[in-house]
Amino acid sequence: MSAVTRRLILGAAALGALACGDIASPERTDLYEWRLFVPGTGGGTDTLSFFWSQSHLPVRIWAEDAAGLPGYAERAIGIWESGFLYREFRGEMVSDSSTADVLIFANSAPNLVLGVHRLHSMAPECSGATDIEVSDDHTQLLIPVRVFIDPVLPVDQPATQTCLALTTIHELGHALGIFQHSPNPDDIMFANPLVEAPSERDRGTIEAVYHFPPTLEPVRP
Amino acid sequence: MPKAILSCLLLLAVGAPPVQAQANYFLRVGAVGASKLLKDFITSPITVKQSIAPMVAFGGSLPVGTKGYRAGLEASIESGSFHSTENGVDTDLGTLRTGALTAFLEGPVVDRLRWNVGLGGIAYRPAEDSGIFAQGGTTSFLAAAGADYRHPIHEKWDVMASARYDYHRFNTDELEARGFSHSQGVGRVSLTVGIARGLR
Repeated sequence: MSAVTRRLILGAAALGALACGDIASPERTDLYEWRLFVPGTGGGTDTLSFFWSQSHLPVRIWAEDAAGLPGYAERAIGIWESGFLYREFRGEMVSDSSTADVLIFANSAPNLVLGVHRLHSMAPECSGATDIEVSDDHTQLLIPVRVFIDPVLPVDQPATQTCLALTTIHELGHALGIFQHSPNPDDIMFANPLVEAPSERDRGTIEAVYHFPPTLEPVRP
Repeated sequence: MPKAILSCLLLLAVGAPPVQAQANYFLRVGAVGASKLLKDFITSPITVKQSIAPMVAFGGSLPVGTKGYRAGLEASIESGSFHSTENGVDTDLGTLRTGALTAFLEGPVVDRLRWNVGLGGIAYRPAEDSGIFAQGGTTSFLAAAGADYRHPIHEKWDVMASARYDYHRFNTDELEARGFSHSQGVGRVSLTVGIARGLR
């Protein structure tokens, strides 16, 4: 076998090996817990997890026209949408609150009622809360999901505006299905959010939320 | 040979009058089907694939040597949808346009049948910069091979039917940013019909 033939065969083999390989998926191990664990209806613990399935998309979101919330909400929708690779979530702003899946109010959260699980976020300039209301048997998420964003300081202050922007992203993250807080301050879903956009870990976690079987089905009472 | 091909391509591109008599031009329409763009795994396998898309191909060639070989350029444009599939459920991911430019060499097989091999590039342009294309489209080198069949219908014109297979590697900036490594081999098969200025 001549040197040229050998080179050709080796070249073809290398090209073949390169051509036949598939793209390799990332590991996706850097996630935080997103499911909510509550006392079970029949003892023990029930796991609550949820995402908006394709049949419910786009998720209709209404924001009270105060403190610039509609603008913050629209931006938050776009930020979360861009976190997905396969269009698992899409949202749209609606002007009719009676048809919305998620309601965002510009005030503090009311007193907690039975059956509602509240997720708080607290920053010096504004506070946020998302109420997750589930049926007694822990199989249904009662919609609309209610979000409360309360500007503690005047809304014309830059610090308050920054707080409103990141808190809206954070609370919408809960409404999308992240029912826990991240233990890491670099994540937007940290209990007291400090960063202005979802981290790689936030994006990985929301991606996981939309691919694990949910335990709750959205129902409008 | 490479020098001859380059010269022909250059002349064809500028449309120099002395070579117009020997030039062959073609325009074809048809459809292209492609293998998967990527396979992912989150909790179950997810594949992303383009739907069969309409395509337009056009180009031209010039003779190379005396044995019936020709060298030329072919451009093609395809536009269709792409979707992801997980557990048998499809999700529409929008519209995806591709364009390919190939420098090719062709020659006779038998009678009206000719072989065709080429090298070039392919560009992906999504209608929306989102999902796997969140950081925009992508480009890649491409290798192609196929066959053309010509049937004369006029003194100077042929009906032309072509079958092509081409292959390239696919990846996007967004996928790389998300930790995907290597790239995905994508094979495409196209069938087209059209008209060509005859090789007589």
